[in-house]
Amino acid sequence: MEILHIENLTFTYPKTKKPAIENIDLSINSGEFTVICGQSGCGKTTLLKLMKKELAPAGEKSGKIFYDGVLQEELPDKKSASEIGYVLQNPDSQIVTDKVWHELAFGLENLGIPTEVIRRRVGEMASYFGIQDWFRKKTDELSGGQKQLLNLASVMVMQPRILILDEPTSRLDPIAATDFISTLQKLNRELGLTVIIAEHRLEEVFPIADKAVVMDSGRIIASGAPREIGDKLSEINKEHPMFCGLPSAVRIYNALGIEDSCPLTVREGRAFLEKHFFNAAESEKAELTEIDKMTTEYEHSETAAIEMKNVWFRYEKDLPDILRGTSLKVYGGEIYCILGGNGAGKTTALNVISGLDKAYRGKIIINGKQIKDYKGNSLYRKLLALLPQEPQTVFIKDSVREDLADMLEILEIPKSEREKKIDEISKKLGITELLDKHPYDLSGGEQQKCAIAKILMSEPRILLLDEPTKGLDAFSKLTLRKLLRGLKQEGMTIIMVTHDVEFSGETADRCALFFDGEILSADIPERFFSENNFYTTAANRMARGLWKYALTCGQVVEKCQNSKGEAT
Amino acid sequence: MKAFSDYHPLVLLVYFLSILIVAMFVNNPVIGLFALFGGILFCIMLSKRSEAAGNLGFYIPLFFMVAITNPLFSHNGVTPLFFLNGNPVTVEAFAYGVAIAVMVIGVMMWCKCYSAIMTSDKFLYLFGKAIPKLSLVLSMALRFIPMFKRQMHKVSRAQRSMGLYSSKSFIDKIKSGMRVFMAMLSWSLENSIETSASMKARGYGLKGRTNFSLFRFYPRDGALLSVCVVLLGVTVAGIITGDTAFYYYPRISELTLTPLAVAVYAAFGIMSFLPFMIEVKEALKWKYYISKI
Repeated sequence: MEILHIENLTFTYPKTKKPAIENIDLSINSGEFTVICGQSGCGKTTLLKLMKKELAPAGEKSGKIFYDGVLQEELPDKKSASEIGYVLQNPDSQIVTDKVWHELAFGLENLGIPTEVIRRRVGEMASYFGIQDWFRKKTDELSGGQKQLLNLASVMVMQPRILILDEPTSRLDPIAATDFISTLQKLNRELGLTVIIAEHRLEEVFPIADKAVVMDSGRIIASGAPREIGDKLSEINKEHPMFCGLPSAVRIYNALGIEDSCPLTVREGRAFLEKHFFNAAESEKAELTEIDKMTTEYEHSETAAIEMKNVWFRYEKDLPDILRGTSLKVYGGEIYCILGGNGAGKTTALNVISGLDKAYRGKIIINGKQIKDYKGNSLYRKLLALLPQEPQTVFIKDSVREDLADMLEILEIPKSEREKKIDEISKKLGITELLDKHPYDLSGGEQQKCAIAKILMSEPRILLLDEPTKGLDAFSKLTLRKLLRGLKQEGMTIIMVTHDVEFSGETADRCALFFDGEILSADIPERFFSENNFYTTAANRMARGLWKYALTCGQVVEKCQNSKGEAT
Repeated sequence: MKAFSDYHPLVLLVYFLSILIVAMFVNNPVIGLFALFGGILFCIMLSKRSEAAGNLGFYIPLFFMVAITNPLFSHNGVTPLFFLNGNPVTVEAFAYGVAIAVMVIGVMMWCKCYSAIMTSDKFLYLFGKAIPKLSLVLSMALRFIPMFKRQMHKVSRAQRSMGLYSSKSFIDKIKSGMRVFMAMLSWSLENSIETSASMKARGYGLKGRTNFSLFRFYPRDGALLSVCVVLLGVTVAGIITGDTAFYYYPRISELTLTPLAVAVYAAFGIMSFLPFMIEVKEALKWKYYISKI
């Protein structure tokens, strides 16, 4: 049964000429799991907001939206509020009240439901979501994942028939994100809830979706079952930029162009590769020689840009140590990536290197000089810069241009040179068009670029990045990778801390694992990841039975094509 | 300290108000001492062991300070102890000082207990019914403040690593702090836009909003409330008839021991030690249960 029907929908924001979305036709059946994907700025959010009339932005709208057979404008307010649930991106700003139980009850209070009924419904939802342990806690004490789960639960308590989610996992760490997605899947399976979700992390959502919709600059360019999406995109363009956002299995399948059913998960992808390339496996010896060659061929400068020697750190005297004798050595001009679980202390390690937190034992040597010998601000001038996890915190002015100028003012650069400097950097990073926008109006990827522009103003030689790919879509990640590679070419040393296995596999020169307060096994990505079973890229997990050291989709495709060449 | 604070907020409010009002306005040494010792006992139960020593160090000197101040400045009374700079220091003024100190410390103890037990959600529940909007606004404010603080901390750290707060000078610190604060204002606006979207999405603004709370009025709440009301009634009766009246000036009056006065002392005594008794009763009950298991 059709629950949501959109007919020829076009929407234009005030003061803009180009419509944000154009001629959208969409039909969602009851109980369907639909994923909407596309680059940031393609109109996903606008489309989703228009689906719920309370959130519809102001602007010029044509076309019709029907919910449950009724035109959206004629839908009673109460029905619209309770039956169409909406979860936004930021887990923090969505929470209204100070207590978990109050937050759960908030929607029901608005609907005017009596206390006894609220008590029952809240109780039911809290136990379904496993919230009972933190039911009486303050909302501020929750972790990011718990907050987003609370947001979901406090929408679900209103018993919606359709749930709309706008990139709900983009601010969560991978484990919390996986939990969240599997909760959605459970709701869809067990309650028959209709789910419409806009997402970047397609690796997990694609296999469980019934329908995928791909948008590009305000239009739907492909829609259908997830297995068919790859083929549909290929018809438009063999190398469509949207491919880089699809799951690895789909990318490999489409790049090879073999007639078969499209694999979606790692398991299916593995079966697919083994079916078609079972005799292409390389002998262990050949592989070993290759990887040894790669290791020895890896060149780095002789001097260390950053060195940590037995560093110990804890936040307070009575708290446990977070760094326990951490040692690391990063060579000049290297992209060094620190991976590790949640709350392992990766960010703390970065803060200690940047001098924001002080170690109580051990040495930190930056460019051959101990960190404590850098007096005043000399460390942050032309030497070291840190990009924090939330790029938003970098901006303190009303436009990007003002922010950059402000940075130059702090650096005491004469007014006459400022304009030129801003021009230079914005051309280099491709942000010229963003200069006059408010930093908060930018998308995640744009914000990231502008934040990097701002911290590059101090002309650092060492760049520290904390979770630079958090909340970025695949396309922005690609841009970021190019940017980092470019900076490396100029001699910049880059250390980044991340959860993103795919990104570090493709970007880093060396990777290391942070565990239990120590940095373990720094190595080139091919060797680092292939030794791991779980902590490795999806492409590697698919292909490891055939080629142990193939890491990226590109490498796997190359291996496949080489072996085909040999066979024929 | 679970049993007492689990009572219904209304009962707790009535209890605290009666104790505080009687303790503050009734000038009778027996009542004052009951209030003081009841308060101390209650506070000890509420606070952690480690805090107790610090509290002693604060309240004992305060007690003596208040007690001594009165006779130094007030020279009423007819029984001089000695003369200081030609002014008499009287027994009455001294006694009155001690009584004031007992009252002040006692009230402070009860206020401490009040703030520990009447948490924000209980307060909101009580006054939210009268002013529903206010209770939501307060709840939102309590949500917002810690979030604001955390974000401010993050922003100022980010700025520090970019060379803001560059010198150690005071003016520079203030200037940098202002910059961060201005940024926080636009952050709050941005944040509130999303909060209001989330509120609208969940039907805020529809007619007939109800107020939900976790509190329930159980029979035991009714029982405690009636006990409180009866005890308060007896105390008030004694105050109105003047049976408990007590004077320090010009001469310390004798403690009246009429049947009603004794009843008042008993009633207020029970009231002051009520939380303690409830707690002990509950503890014994648990001990008994455990020994049965």
